Amino acid sequence: MSGIGSPSMLNRDRTILDRSEAIARIEDVAATAEDFDRIVSQSLPLLLDRTVGYIKRFLRDTGQWSEDVAHEKFVLRWGAEYLEQFLVSGRFEVPCRPLFLLDSMVAKQHSRPEPFCYHPDLLTPLGRFLDGLVGRAAVSRDALIALYHHCYGLGPGQVIATLRLNGSESPRIYKNFQRWRDSGWKRTLEDIGLTAPDLQGLTEQCHQQRRRFNGEAERMLRFVQAHYRKSEPDHYPCLSRHQWEDMFLQGYGIEYRIWHLALCLNCLQTAWDLGFAGASAIEKPRVALQFQP
Amino acid sequence: MEEHMHPMDSEPERTGYREHLLDVIRTGARRTGCGASEPIHVFVNQQRIGQLDGAGTEATLQVRHQTPIESVHLRSEDGVLLGGLSTPEYGFKSSRIALMRDAVELRVQNTAQGGVVSAVFLPAPGLWHRARRAFGRIVGQGAPRPVAAAGSGGRILAVAQILLAIVLIGHFADRITGWTTPATQPLPVIQADIPQAAPLSEVAKLEQQLIELAQTQTKTIETIQTQQQGMAQLQRTMAKLSTAQESVASNVMTVAQELEHSRKGTEHNVDRMTRVLMNKNRSEREQLEAEIHSLLIANDQLSRERTQLEQNYQELKKQLTSSGQDISKTTVPDRDKLVMAQQDAPPQIADAKPIRPQPPFLLWVSFSEGTSQASIDQWVLDMHGRKGAFSEGWQAVEIVPPTEPMERVLDQIKQTKIVKAVKISR
Ligand SMILES: [Zn+2]
Repeated sequence: MSGIGSPSMLNRDRTILDRSEAIARIEDVAATAEDFDRIVSQSLPLLLDRTVGYIKRFLRDTGQWSEDVAHEKFVLRWGAEYLEQFLVSGRFEVPCRPLFLLDSMVAKQHSRPEPFCYHPDLLTPLGRFLDGLVGRAAVSRDALIALYHHCYGLGPGQVIATLRLNGSESPRIYKNFQRWRDSGWKRTLEDIGLTAPDLQGLTEQCHQQRRRFNGEAERMLRFVQAHYRKSEPDHYPCLSRHQWEDMFLQGYGIEYRIWHLALCLNCLQTAWDLGFAGASAIEKPRVALQFQP
Repeated sequence: MEEHMHPMDSEPERTGYREHLLDVIRTGARRTGCGASEPIHVFVNQQRIGQLDGAGTEATLQVRHQTPIESVHLRSEDGVLLGGLSTPEYGFKSSRIALMRDAVELRVQNTAQGGVVSAVFLPAPGLWHRARRAFGRIVGQGAPRPVAAAGSGGRILAVAQILLAIVLIGHFADRITGWTTPATQPLPVIQADIPQAAPLSEVAKLEQQLIELAQTQTKTIETIQTQQQGMAQLQRTMAKLSTAQESVASNVMTVAQELEHSRKGTEHNVDRMTRVLMNKNRSEREQLEAEIHSLLIANDQLSRERTQLEQNYQELKKQLTSSGQDISKTTVPDRDKLVMAQQDAPPQIADAKPIRPQPPFLLWVSFSEGTSQASIDQWVLDMHGRKGAFSEGWQAVEIVPPTEPMERVLDQIKQTKIVKAVKISR
């Protein structure tokens, strides 16, 4: 504990006092996992701001920063992501100094070639919608399955037919859809900071110039998909038409199909071209964004 | 447009978003909307490597990575971060991550050659479970080591992944993965779970059960070993095949180049040669495919057995809960009457004159031949439906009236694998 705090401090200095106390605490050593949890949970706002500060600096240093709300939200979103990871794994690093542990974790992230998916176009509402959704799909199976709906307008039955899934996989697909509609969709919108007016605007734009809008969406979607495909297992590369055919006929690679085809428009179309979904008379999947779950 | 507004105008939006994110972080793993039986996804270095089936039994996932492992994360089906670990560049690290009820034990070992991570799902312990663990340790000293899926080439790895799943997702996880740490843990004492004053006959009965269990376990281990041998053989075949493919490709190239040089040479010869080489390749390929096929069948067999066990468990659970739901059953006769009414009346009339505000919708479904009753029940459950009469191959199913257009609903149902046909009138 620090000696900065004194009971005679005036009330208006209370905030400053709390802040410096918090800093003093997280600079201290956390001896046990419980210590760590306690120290960190008392200083979450401070830790978030610190992380956000680092990400801002990273963007500035790499010439990618500008002063607007989209950039502010971008750094907040990633700051929260980093902090969440710090919280779960930091508690196994005891004894440690939480503040410096956070610094080192952020530095490690930023030493990677591409710590996050950044492109100026992705800071428009459309870009944030696609980046947020596909980014979520990289960590959530519910969101992954929902991509088939939001990007191409496929329902659960059509997903099952297009991917040629077997009976035992089907209930899970329906469950994924259900949970996404019940809670996943709303939560994801909130977590990526897309507001109701944002969504309204997108729906209107899509309505007015459907073709042009979806064309633009496809261009961004390809960019975003290529980035987040890195979240797939190493051994899920794009396959040739022949290889997909083989996989579909032999009935292996269920997970491969589900993950890769959600994140790769080219392969999805290749797989569709094989004609296995033909009986259900589904149109060839093309980008047709859906703004309702 | 609003992206370029003055920072002052956007301040409330930014603050609101920041507050929301802080709430998200505070709530943490409790945010998940997934039940305890949903799979848990395992990520290594932010890459998804597989999943643990959290359906009440122990399960193991083990993966060899070609680069050192920096982080391991566990996420629910809806993407919520449940726990994680960052790991040292060299050496061993393990920790137990507590989930809502269950736990996952993570073990990571990094060497100069890369890293190995093993994740063991440990369901909330009960007497039966502890006894099994204890006895498992006593009986089997020769625990088989899992075959790691190291290698290269997309297809080989894709196939290997399936096989790995067969080998690794076993029910006796603690023994299979025991190789990463020496078995220094003290054996839990089974007797501790038996009341001191238990009659001798009870003890004898329990003993008998444990012996039977041990026998089952030995059999399972044998199966796993057989499958491992199969996999090793398959890997050899695949290695042979890819070498063969390479040599075929280079032979074809050489032939084609020679043809380029002497244009007078007959195309016929080249074609013939290519065909011969390709045929040779094909027969090897067919052999490989046959082997894969037989392994897939074995896999199916295992998963069927597992499904059976799960169904038994569900059945038991149902029986347990049904005793507490007798009061709610008073509404059942009404619903039955409703089914009868709909069966007798033409569906249009039933639709036009609803008996109550939201009457269930009646469908007649014919299932594909060979569909088990259990999978029909599961499907009905997934549809949030209820079975009615069965007549001449058609099963009546009541569902909640859909909000979507009826054609779309019927289409979706038709696309279900086990459904042969569906109609709305008898
Ligand atoms: Zn692809």
